[in-house]
Amino acid sequence: MSLVQAKGLEKHYGRDVVLERLNFSVEPGEFVTIVGASGCGKTTFLKMMLGTESITRGQLLVEDKPIPGEPGPDRGVVFQKYSVLPHLTVLGNTLIAEELSRSKLLGKLFGSRRRQAREAALERLTEVGLENALDKYPHELSGGMQQRLAIAQALMMRPRILLLDEPFGALDPGIRQDMHELVTRLWREQQLTIFMITHDIDEAFALGTRVWVFDKWRDDPHAPEAYGATITYDLDVERNREDAPSQAKQIEEDMHS
Amino acid sequence: MKRLINLKPRRAARVALALLPFLLIAFVYLGVSNARHAENPNDRLLPLPAQMAETFAGMATEANVRTGSIPLWADTAASLQRLGIGVGISAVAALVFGLLSGGLPLFRAPFSPLITVVSLIPPLAILPILFIAFGTGEMAKVVLIVVGITPFLIRDLTGEALRLPNEQRIKAQTLGASSWQVMLRVLLPQLTPRLISTTRLALGSAWLFLIAAEAIAAQEGLGYRIFLVRRYLAMDVILPYVAWITLLAFVIDQALLWISRWSFPWYHVDEKAAS
Amino acid sequence: MPARYRIATLLAIVTMVFSAFAPVHAAEGSRDSFRVCWSIYAGWMPWAYADKAGIVDKWADKYDIDIEVVQINDYIESVNQYTSGNMDGCAMTNMDALTIPAASGVDSTALLINDYSDGNDGIVLKGSDDLTDIEGRRVNLVQFSVSHYFLARALDSVGLTERDIETVNTSDADIVGVFANDDVNAVAAWNPQLMSIDEMPDSHVVYTSKQIPREILDMMVVNTETLKNNPDFGRALAGAWYEVMDHIAKNDEEALEIMAEAAGTDVAGYREQLDATHLYTDPAEAAELMNDDELLETMQRVAEFSFKHGLLGQGAPSPDVIGIETPAGTYGSDSNVKLRFEPRYTEEVAENR
Repeated sequence: MSLVQAKGLEKHYGRDVVLERLNFSVEPGEFVTIVGASGCGKTTFLKMMLGTESITRGQLLVEDKPIPGEPGPDRGVVFQKYSVLPHLTVLGNTLIAEELSRSKLLGKLFGSRRRQAREAALERLTEVGLENALDKYPHELSGGMQQRLAIAQALMMRPRILLLDEPFGALDPGIRQDMHELVTRLWREQQLTIFMITHDIDEAFALGTRVWVFDKWRDDPHAPEAYGATITYDLDVERNREDAPSQAKQIEEDMHS
Repeated sequence: MKRLINLKPRRAARVALALLPFLLIAFVYLGVSNARHAENPNDRLLPLPAQMAETFAGMATEANVRTGSIPLWADTAASLQRLGIGVGISAVAALVFGLLSGGLPLFRAPFSPLITVVSLIPPLAILPILFIAFGTGEMAKVVLIVVGITPFLIRDLTGEALRLPNEQRIKAQTLGASSWQVMLRVLLPQLTPRLISTTRLALGSAWLFLIAAEAIAAQEGLGYRIFLVRRYLAMDVILPYVAWITLLAFVIDQALLWISRWSFPWYHVDEKAAS
Repeated sequence: MPARYRIATLLAIVTMVFSAFAPVHAAEGSRDSFRVCWSIYAGWMPWAYADKAGIVDKWADKYDIDIEVVQINDYIESVNQYTSGNMDGCAMTNMDALTIPAASGVDSTALLINDYSDGNDGIVLKGSDDLTDIEGRRVNLVQFSVSHYFLARALDSVGLTERDIETVNTSDADIVGVFANDDVNAVAAWNPQLMSIDEMPDSHVVYTSKQIPREILDMMVVNTETLKNNPDFGRALAGAWYEVMDHIAKNDEEALEIMAEAAGTDVAGYREQLDATHLYTDPAEAAELMNDDELLETMQRVAEFSFKHGLLGQGAPSPDVIGIETPAGTYGSDSNVKLRFEPRYTEEVAENR
């Protein structure tokens, strides 16, 4: 059974068609990377996956059920910015996931229950290498450490699907390489299904098992809003690893032409 | 020579520059006051410093024959109590309504236009209504402060809640947070330091409303005393009282700032970087 | 900007600030231009007519001087303007003349006694028409004003003192609104507020200034030294005032209408206020009061009341620290006379008729 399926999925803003003809099925454990020119509807698609953007037409299914119309703990998310809560420490930012699920009224844990939750949070933070920065506030962390924290936080609820919206876009190249290793490791260890938006095509091919290119399927210069974007390339990178660099080059040229 | 915008005073020079306007004002005051007293030794408009010190010491140490209380302290206690209760009620109400309005679009839809209109009503213009509704005692004075500053605080907190990145709300929901939990754990802690800084700004208005309320009908209070002795031009009482009010306002302002910096260090990151 | 210009600019600013507050040498030498102020009150409305109808100008021209008549909205502010030296004369009560300018060391002369309150001040109780029921109540009034003095006199008349009541300082502008409230059950007020309060349900006027005639006096007070150096200033004011009094005595509708309009009411309403005000339309009668022993006694009572409430200054050792000079004699310190009653100008008007 496919984990995520789209059938004739469309998104319009009034008369402006953003996305259309979206048909795909994604199996558990796939790592889908999404590239495309800016304004092509990548982020809109991710928001539909999150549940913060409504569906105009067609179906978007998770395990054969329509995706809920609001965010939930089955789909974790990391944004480029503002992913972590500025008023909580590193520990607090991860602990809050446990606290929210185990204390419905106060959203806060005390005593032995807090100690248990702390253990779980510590485990996650160790996985991303933040075990020595527990009492730091986000503003005291570097950009890379903030994104590590955001990832650890997103994985606290053990979501099956992880949505990444250009998570490394603002990081230095060296740090980006470390983050790639981290994400790949976590994806393997926790059998995650990942959808990741990136504007870096090399990154898309390096990380993904499947690369989607979003683009308009037809362009009418007199009515640019009449046709929306869809998946113009759906490349199985895993099976064609050796071809990946040339394919990446080809796509890059296509997008710039 | 560097551009003017790049010239910064050194530490010693900064202290001297900060003192300069105060010294200038004191110098001008002393000059005019002395001149007036040379003309008329009983002049009340601009009393000499010694005269003010003597009067103020009397107000701070000698009990009133009729009431048995020491005027300065009785006035200060009465005013601070009114101010504290009024500002306290306003702050709590602003936090609750700001949270609801900033957190729940369904609450905001009918509430926000109302509070915008209410915040534009000048409270001093509807004083007679406040008298009839809340009496002329302590209640009316507290209510005037509350009516005066709460709408402003609510508007500011609602705006602040809406300015928080939506990503935070989404992230909290992906961690399983309910509406209540988003407000409690995401919005409330971030609105609290904002409330403190906005309350610092609103304190000026709160003092204004307090003194206006005390001028209308009162038996004690800093504003009461000022308006009472204004009847016989006792500037030797009014000027030290004004200085005393300024000092109190300054101390309260700095105390709030200190509390905020101590409790919410993450909120003050930008201002530290700027200074 | 070169440094010396900066210093020059700074000095210029300092000088400007200085001159704004510097003592006004109003009193020095003889001058030909004067300013007097007044505020809205039944007994002072004739100044509105005197100004509008050009009567003041006419009398000033006669003595070849210039007098500007300024209406100030706030009574206390008008008195303060006079005390700080910005005005040469001001309309005020006998008590305020003592406690504000005289106690501030400004030697002042009551040039004219315009009227006395003959019912314009009153005490109103809720739910009782007996003044003795005021005992134990909270009384809303403008503290330290003539209302306060009047209240003390009223209490005295039924064997009570200020210790038997509590006072709440209340602004005169809001006293009507305050009385409408259930938790207020006693006020001392003056007109026109007194009339509005009297119209409210369950209110009873239990004591009025009718019971203490010739005690609450409304006067035109001028700077003593200015008057000494410029007697024509006094003559012009007195002449103008009594010319207006003639209009009132003759029931001149047009004059009354202008006064009523300035007071924010109609002729009927203004007549009602005048009924509670004993205007001295006859200068001889006003001069008689100035010369009477009774005035000296009244001023002594006012001085004693003021001293008791600290209105003569925080450091005043006794009620007679300020000398009050009347034709019948002087109360208090001979060497520190700061308030004088001068009947000469009123008498001159009477003699010239």
